[in-house]
Amino acid sequence: MANHETGGLAANQDLPLLRIRGLGVRFGTFNAINPLDLDVRDGEFLTILGPSGSGKTTLLRAIAGFQAPSEGGIEFDGRDIADMPINRRPFNTVFQDYALFPHMTVRENVSFGLRVRGTGRKRLNDRVDSALGIVGLEELGARYPSQLSGGQQQRTALARAMICEPRLILLDEPLAALDAALRRQMQNFLKSVQRQSGITFLFVTHDQSEATTMSDRICVMRSGSIEQIGTPRDLYYRPKSKFVASFFGASNIIEPCEVIDARNDVTSVRTAVGTFAVAGPAPEGGSGLALAVRPEAFGIGNGKPVNQVELTVVSVSFIGSETITELRHRDASLEFKMKTRSDPAASPPAPGSVLTVGFDPAECALVSGDRG
Amino acid sequence: MKRLRLLDVSLASVSFLVYLALYLPILLVFVLSFFSMRRGRVRWDTFSFEWYARLFSNESLGEALLNSIIVGVTAIIAATVIATLAALHVNARPSSRSARMLEYVIFLPFLLPPIITGLSLLIYFREIGVSRGLATIIVGHAVFVLAIIYRIILTRLNALSRSLVEAAQDLGASRLQTFRFIILPNLRMPLLTAGILAFALSFDETMITLFLSGTDGTLPVRLYAMMRVGFTPEINALITLILGFSIVLTVVFAFAWRRSGGTDNNRITRI
Repeated sequence: MANHETGGLAANQDLPLLRIRGLGVRFGTFNAINPLDLDVRDGEFLTILGPSGSGKTTLLRAIAGFQAPSEGGIEFDGRDIADMPINRRPFNTVFQDYALFPHMTVRENVSFGLRVRGTGRKRLNDRVDSALGIVGLEELGARYPSQLSGGQQQRTALARAMICEPRLILLDEPLAALDAALRRQMQNFLKSVQRQSGITFLFVTHDQSEATTMSDRICVMRSGSIEQIGTPRDLYYRPKSKFVASFFGASNIIEPCEVIDARNDVTSVRTAVGTFAVAGPAPEGGSGLALAVRPEAFGIGNGKPVNQVELTVVSVSFIGSETITELRHRDASLEFKMKTRSDPAASPPAPGSVLTVGFDPAECALVSGDRG
Repeated sequence: MKRLRLLDVSLASVSFLVYLALYLPILLVFVLSFFSMRRGRVRWDTFSFEWYARLFSNESLGEALLNSIIVGVTAIIAATVIATLAALHVNARPSSRSARMLEYVIFLPFLLPPIITGLSLLIYFREIGVSRGLATIIVGHAVFVLAIIYRIILTRLNALSRSLVEAAQDLGASRLQTFRFIILPNLRMPLLTAGILAFALSFDETMITLFLSGTDGTLPVRLYAMMRVGFTPEINALITLILGFSIVLTVVFAFAWRRSGGTDNNRITRI
């Protein structure tokens, strides 16, 4: 137990599968990726999440070898691979457009990685059969990519990337082209394949809910830098910056706010609309802070004795199981959004009426404001 | 309704006249290769294969035809190799200086008047002391058809998704394997198209050939020489044969195109 932390074997297990140090990519004078560090642990599902232009795809391409880094190092399993040619790198990629070879059947596509390595026919056929089995395409081996649906193409691309039994698979927004229903289905599928195979997945997406459902850890990127890395729960409940907070749906940002007291793991902050208690210690370097509150953290009136504020109703929209109420504070021109469970018995508040709403200290977070 | 019909009829007659103007002379040549003609009238009682027989016994024409084929095939093979390499380079690094220069240089011999190309090559060969012959004609034709082959191949390469090449390399393929298994299969059709087109261009190229041929002429050069001394009906027979060959080539081409059409549809995966 104690040596789990300190023993030689454990130290080996803690060694990340992929270790990125000071990796930067510049296009001319434009920094696509500012030098950054990232560790990918063996067997995890790590998602790089960010809006378009945040450098997430460039980072993935640099790892795959399609984009030469301007600086920094990449280690895979303790070996430096920064200068290794693409075809020697010991991991494979699922492309955004799938990049299936149009003149080859599904079987030929999937077997390609083995074929260029000169694998014998018997072994090759067995491996292809098993890969097609995993992705559920046993019946479609003779089809051409153009004869497949989007989901089937996606599965083919995955089987092709898995055929050489890599320890790491890079996935570049592979679900972006699918419609919503199919995307959810493929999310579950990808996650289950990842869990069963134990292959490390490094997944790129701009879709926060996709990242949250699938990932063990999420690395949020913004303009070429890593904003925050953590589990989906970390990022959801403990965002470090305003950017991460709003990316994960905490759209009510109250700023500026100033720490006036911090004890017993509760921090008190003063803002333009009142004084609030926030669970957890105050962040270090406590200037330029903002208070982020999720819309669903708000509740009307009596149930919530702390963190109360009087707000004027601007509009109410009923969206089925939930009701979204837009609110405004009378002094500061701050706007709030509240999401509550729709109540069949009560009539919604009328626009113009004043409500006392409150939120739990555990359901808000102190975050850093905009940098730069 | 009625006016539309009138339009249809007039359009149809105009197209008929156009086709007639295009094909009547060819038809005439075909007919005349079997019959004799006197005072502007075909003598239907003279049907024979005489002109074909004479054609085949005409050694100089046979030799010219053979020369044409040798020149065409050799020039196309040489030009295809060079054009493919050039297209691969330009496709891989489209914004490099060498690529931009290649784009201009490769088209020059095709765009310049043939007389300039022919003359400059002639002067060049004389200066370096190469005597005129089949080899010089081959060089001339290769330079001439290079641009067409290059353009057709480059167009196809540019249409290929770059991620296909990346995917192949990602899966462990070397550059050579990527070319062989991914690029080349996708170039089959454009290579065939380019080859046929280039052969057709080479086959009737006259001006450059005129400057570069010594005693061995290609067919058009030989025909040109024959016309100067007088028109013989063998020429009709020859033209008919060439026409037949062209038709066969077109049919084969169309057939190959249709057959590959099935796989051509596969080239861009549905997204």
